[in-house]
Amino acid sequence: MKFDILIAGVGGQGVVLASRLLATAAMDAGFHVTTAETIGMAQREGSVTSHIRIGDEVCGSLIPSGNADLIIGLEPAEAARNIHFLGMNGSIVVNEHAVMPSVLNGCVEYDPYQVLEFLKGNCRDILSVDFTQLAKQAGTYRAANVAMLAAAAGADLIPFSSGDLWNVLEKMVPEKYRDVNRKAFDMSLERVSGIKNPEQQAMDV
Amino acid sequence: MTSKRILMGNEAIAFGAMKAGVQIASGYPGTPSTEVMETIISNANKYGIYAEWATNEKVALETAVGAAYSGANAMVTMKQVGLNVASDPLMSLSYIGVKGSLVILVSDDPGPHSSQTEQDTRAFGHFSNIPVLDPSTPQEAYDMAKLAFKLSHEMEIPVILRTTTRVSHGCADVMIEDIDPASRDIEGFVKDPKWVIFPKLTAQRHPWLEELQVRLSDRFSEYFKENSFNSISKGNSKIGMVASGVSYLYAKEAIKDSSETFSLFKIGTVHPFPEKAALEFLSNITDLIVIEELDPYLEEQFLQLIGRHHLDMNIYGKKNGHFPLSGEYNVDTVIDGVNSSLKDINTDVPFLYHSSPVIDKENVPPLPVRPPTLCAGCMHRTVFYAFKKAAGKLRTEKGMESIFSGDIGCYTLGNARPLNMVDTCLCMGAGISIAAGLSHTHHYQRDQKAKQVAFIGDSTFFHSGVAAVISAVYNNADITVAVLDNRTTAMTGHQPHPGIGLTATGVSTKVIDIADVLRSCGVDLVETIEVNDLGECIDTAKRAMEFEGPSAVVFKGRCVGITKGKEQYVVDEGKCTGCMLCVSQLGCPAIFSTSSGLPVIQDNCTGCSLCAQVCPSDAIVLKEDSQ
Ligand code: SF4
Ligand code: SF4
Repeated sequence: MKFDILIAGVGGQGVVLASRLLATAAMDAGFHVTTAETIGMAQREGSVTSHIRIGDEVCGSLIPSGNADLIIGLEPAEAARNIHFLGMNGSIVVNEHAVMPSVLNGCVEYDPYQVLEFLKGNCRDILSVDFTQLAKQAGTYRAANVAMLAAAAGADLIPFSSGDLWNVLEKMVPEKYRDVNRKAFDMSLERVSGIKNPEQQAMDV
Repeated sequence: MTSKRILMGNEAIAFGAMKAGVQIASGYPGTPSTEVMETIISNANKYGIYAEWATNEKVALETAVGAAYSGANAMVTMKQVGLNVASDPLMSLSYIGVKGSLVILVSDDPGPHSSQTEQDTRAFGHFSNIPVLDPSTPQEAYDMAKLAFKLSHEMEIPVILRTTTRVSHGCADVMIEDIDPASRDIEGFVKDPKWVIFPKLTAQRHPWLEELQVRLSDRFSEYFKENSFNSISKGNSKIGMVASGVSYLYAKEAIKDSSETFSLFKIGTVHPFPEKAALEFLSNITDLIVIEELDPYLEEQFLQLIGRHHLDMNIYGKKNGHFPLSGEYNVDTVIDGVNSSLKDINTDVPFLYHSSPVIDKENVPPLPVRPPTLCAGCMHRTVFYAFKKAAGKLRTEKGMESIFSGDIGCYTLGNARPLNMVDTCLCMGAGISIAAGLSHTHHYQRDQKAKQVAFIGDSTFFHSGVAAVISAVYNNADITVAVLDNRTTAMTGHQPHPGIGLTATGVSTKVIDIADVLRSCGVDLVETIEVNDLGECIDTAKRAMEFEGPSAVVFKGRCVGITKGKEQYVVDEGKCTGCMLCVSQLGCPAIFSTSSGLPVIQDNCTGCSLCAQVCPSDAIVLKEDSQ
């Protein structure tokens, strides 16, 4: 068994927490896991990624290009920036909520809609939802990361169940944020139960 | 009892050190090393360990040295550039050695991701004659931490445990053992001339140190038979590979479909180089591919070995262009390097398979560039902006230019657009001395002199700013020092420092007041101001800059990484004229421009009010439900 997940986002979106959650769930499921996290300067609003490699063997933590089984993009541009990691038959879960850069860099006009269309046009298996909006409805926009993991589990895109994932989350999230995260988790599960398409289910078996 | 946990490499090292019985630990925070000390600190009470943040790496190492002289198990932690600061005690220490044990954790940062250099600590081991261990996984990091203490005690020499970012800042499932409280049974310091370095003592000890290198090299060769850190797997071709650290895993993955082909020499004890084992490995090989990040350290060891033994053999590595000399490796880099080597080797071994991207990056629509930025509401932004305004006034009023020297910390990000407020940045504490150096060149300049301003953070001030201030005052440098005091070491994750009245383990202690230090160093104009009102900040900055001779302002504010304001601001669309000053002047990541031509403030606003103070139309107002 080998399963490589790449999480991409902007510093402050909770990429590190999401990768720790997946890593712990993978260990609980009896696999070896290694992660590579972005810690340091880029965490200040820069582009950040976490690589999570799950499998029967210990391997280096960076996913080779063209190898990721799943890309979780907390932001459309960050998903697209890392698209070269996506492997054959890999899936994408992307948050439609864009984080606009503040500094006018003068070079590009970022059009999140165009980026999302590109992702949808190029990846067969993509789940695209405004998870930030969903998390806001649950109580805080900060729970978008948790909502996205729930969606990935709910749509059978990761090698453990949503129940396994919640068990880990419950232990890792501080008590006072537990309820709002549970709500975001459940709302997201519910959301994907409708989206999950038959073609994808067929692919998973 | 053992248990399996998801641990970051740095946490694993701390657990290994605690298992080995570390009693005293000191360090200075630095990415990617910080979490080692943080983990020890958070377990200090539980296991009876003394743990501290020192003012800098030299002080930290010397503190640990004192502890080790008395027979304690001591540890010191730092990032690679920190070892430069600590290199003075390090170089002398190898002659003296230690009594208890001393492990020096140093984290290298290939890339670099969060450092000003791409240096290789293995070279320091070589330079100082101190053994270096190089783990490839968090599990190995845990096990090697234990080995490092054992070796140090047995050989009476400090041991460097060297990691790279991917080992330090990656998590993995790690098997750890139960930890006992630190032993309270050390002998204590015993007076002996051997602790006092003198030319004569150095001359006496040098032969011992050289002989120790040979003993260690032999010991490390033995490890290939008994210890998983060093291993040899034999392949069926005459091509060998050597790898250490995380590169070993990349190599293994790169050759996963042809692992029987290549012989693989995996080395975890990189210095002193295990020559005997290496020679034996070479006896079955005609071509050797060296896979290592940073310096061509192993490559050079093998090159001199085959030279000395007149072996007929080719080496493929960085020196002949098969592998990159800079930057971080990954599986793809290694595949490219191996294939490039195979091209030059006269062999029928097939090239390694490269999985290529399914979606071509070329076709991706334009993406925003996201350089790291000061947080929304960071006090540094207000101070930088105030100096920018003050400098503008000095330019119009007096025709005086200003040069801004920066330093290492979050506030290095003041270099970014639109602030552009860092004209020089070199290393910890350098801003003040560079400003002084620039000021002394005024006499030689044709044009009118510029005002020299040095920005320095609170923790960096204590690290290496004080000596620079004293030198500047002593030598009459015409500089203004701006201390950005947010009462924390922010960039590395908010460690305490001597200015806040708490030790690493939360014990209350003396507050060392930065303004008092500046005054007692002889700075004549010292002002302290809370960063709230922009106008006041501008006036204070201007006063300090107009002062002849050394002046200083301590700007006190909050780091929103610790305390976020409850308030948030919004743009009142009725009043906003769309001048976009708030966007174009500040670069706050909470404000962005929209296609409607009006700015919008996002959820990450922390209510510092800077944009509201900058807005000429009073169009940025407190959000009503935000208080
Ligand atoms: S008040 Fe303005 S400058 Fe301050 S954090 Fe909010 S948006 Fe940014
Ligand atoms: S972490 Fe603190 S000091 Fe660093 S940029 Fe953010 S607010 Fe400023």
